[in-house]
Amino acid sequence: MAWIVENRLKAYTPTRAEPYLTDTMRKTMEDTYLLRYPRKQAALLPLFHMVMHEYGYIPAGAIDEAAAFLGITQAQVQDAVSFYEEFRLQPSGQYAVQVCRSISCELAGHEAVLGKVRELLGTDPEETTEDGKITVFAVECLGACEQAPCALINGKLRGNLRPESFAQELQQLPPLPQHGDHSAGNGAAHAAKIPGATASKVEPEVHGH
Amino acid sequence: MAFPGPILLKRIPAEPGGRHLHRYDDYVATGGYESLKKALAMPPADIVKLVVDSGLRGRGGAGFPCGSKWTFLPKDIHPRYLAVNFDESEPGTFKDRYLIDYDPHILLEGIAIAAYANSITTSYIYIRGEYHREAQILEEALAEAYSHGIFGQKHAGTEFTHNCYVHRGAGAYICGEETGLLESLEGKRGWPRIKPPFPAIAGAFAKPTIINNVETLACVVPIVEHGAAWFKAMGTPSSSGPKLFGISGHVNAPGVYEEELGIKMSTLIEKYGGGVKGKFKAAIPGGISMGILATNQYDAELDFDIGKKYGVLGLGTAGVIVMNDQTSLPRILRNIVRFFSHESCGQCTPCREGTSWMHKILNRIVAGRGKPHDLDMLLELSQTMGAMPGTTICGLADGANWAVKTFLQKFPDDFKAVVKSPLVAGVSVPMAVTVSGAAAAPAGV
Repeated sequence: MAWIVENRLKAYTPTRAEPYLTDTMRKTMEDTYLLRYPRKQAALLPLFHMVMHEYGYIPAGAIDEAAAFLGITQAQVQDAVSFYEEFRLQPSGQYAVQVCRSISCELAGHEAVLGKVRELLGTDPEETTEDGKITVFAVECLGACEQAPCALINGKLRGNLRPESFAQELQQLPPLPQHGDHSAGNGAAHAAKIPGATASKVEPEVHGH
Repeated sequence: MAFPGPILLKRIPAEPGGRHLHRYDDYVATGGYESLKKALAMPPADIVKLVVDSGLRGRGGAGFPCGSKWTFLPKDIHPRYLAVNFDESEPGTFKDRYLIDYDPHILLEGIAIAAYANSITTSYIYIRGEYHREAQILEEALAEAYSHGIFGQKHAGTEFTHNCYVHRGAGAYICGEETGLLESLEGKRGWPRIKPPFPAIAGAFAKPTIINNVETLACVVPIVEHGAAWFKAMGTPSSSGPKLFGISGHVNAPGVYEEELGIKMSTLIEKYGGGVKGKFKAAIPGGISMGILATNQYDAELDFDIGKKYGVLGLGTAGVIVMNDQTSLPRILRNIVRFFSHESCGQCTPCREGTSWMHKILNRIVAGRGKPHDLDMLLELSQTMGAMPGTTICGLADGANWAVKTFLQKFPDDFKAVVKSPLVAGVSVPMAVTVSGAAAAPAGV
């Protein structure tokens, strides 16, 4: 629900002494994104894509820091960030699995997919598995209706899903390094999420046909 | 003229195995960026006239004439912006994704031509957040285009210089609405703006802005190459040119196919989509906002006149969703209304509350607890001017309205069959609004 503004006063995950907007992020902003727009505020979405990539969610501290960085109020940042579904204000599992539930996927049986996932992982949409590995989301149209039913696993499209094998695939996903853990080559699986921040070539498409 | 074969999809063979991403060298080797060269040798005004003469209408959903849109820019106000609408969030729509997956440079060439024609120095490709792969493809294609001098520097013999950037959305359907897109581009929540002023006068950063769909800009490339008459020879008088059609749902070969506008839906489904899986019952012509085509409208011509002729809102995005006779239409309508209820931006009360109540009513109908009165309520909500219609800033609520009223009008029996229970046990309540008449409305409204 895009129109529900998150309560700014609720207790949030503990803030930390070191800033959430790292020096690398600030430099990327100044060298790349701020140059693209006539107003600083326009760089808000690129900035929070970076925050999402780095931490897997948007810590409240990052909102305060972004307000100072972009020269706008905390309320303006909160107002914008809380509107977008991909900007999550709570931590989720290492893998965000977004299963499409819109019309073409319903016609192709998305409910069976979600049902099998529920059976094998024990989670409903919006819930995280006990080991903290996977959070399943039921989302609206992913724009891949010819491959219905479909889903994104950390941004990577998987189409023509079969309930049993997809749920098993999720069970077998390898554990990822924790968000923010740079020593372990953090973000390899997310690299494609920050266009321009990586030299990696786009991966070949996986044909489901 | 018969359709001469793929134009926008000329680099993308139908067989999945033969498709690959065309990078800069592949694109140039197959005739790419020739149209830009040709365009740069023309006065900008001639290109605008060419696009006006071609009759090109917007491929994003509304079908607004592209050339006219370009002529709305005020003469002396600079800078101006081009916002490319690659939000593509309408359920059933995936044509732009398919094009960019294999041929991103056709879009970049179209952007460069449009920018030159309209003296635009900066463009933003607004791509939906869920298209991770496509954002990466575009970033890499842009890097190639910059290194080959397409963007970022003056073109030889002209004063034309242009910068193009990718701007990623973050999961909000409403950002495909053009002014919602502009708000999102400016770093705010994607609330559509009240118009006027229209974006051509005061758009991005309060400057004149053109907003064009990906496919629309891709069409500019062959128009410059082959001319307006060639383009106009395809399709119908009011709907010229080729069109990308997405087919999904109960068909044997779902996918994106290119044909001229005006093709019969039955032909599209049988010639390209591999035929209906089972027996045809209904179809949505172009994304769920458009309403539904009835069983006897299988042969509907897919062009911009479809709305008037077949009682739907329009052609929309031409993402055709096919349903067979095993489909439960109340369930599908619930899915559609749930979508709108979820994606309503919340700015206008009739949309925020109306779609939410439609969803609640359909939930109870699907659960077998519906009352005949519920159908009347849905119809009244969706078609009475001043209830939801005519009360909102943007068209999202009308998308929900058209779906609800056309489902109920064209398939009344499917709904009556699931709302048999009387309002009060033992008392039969007459329906105030008949669900069978197209012009059904309570007396006095």
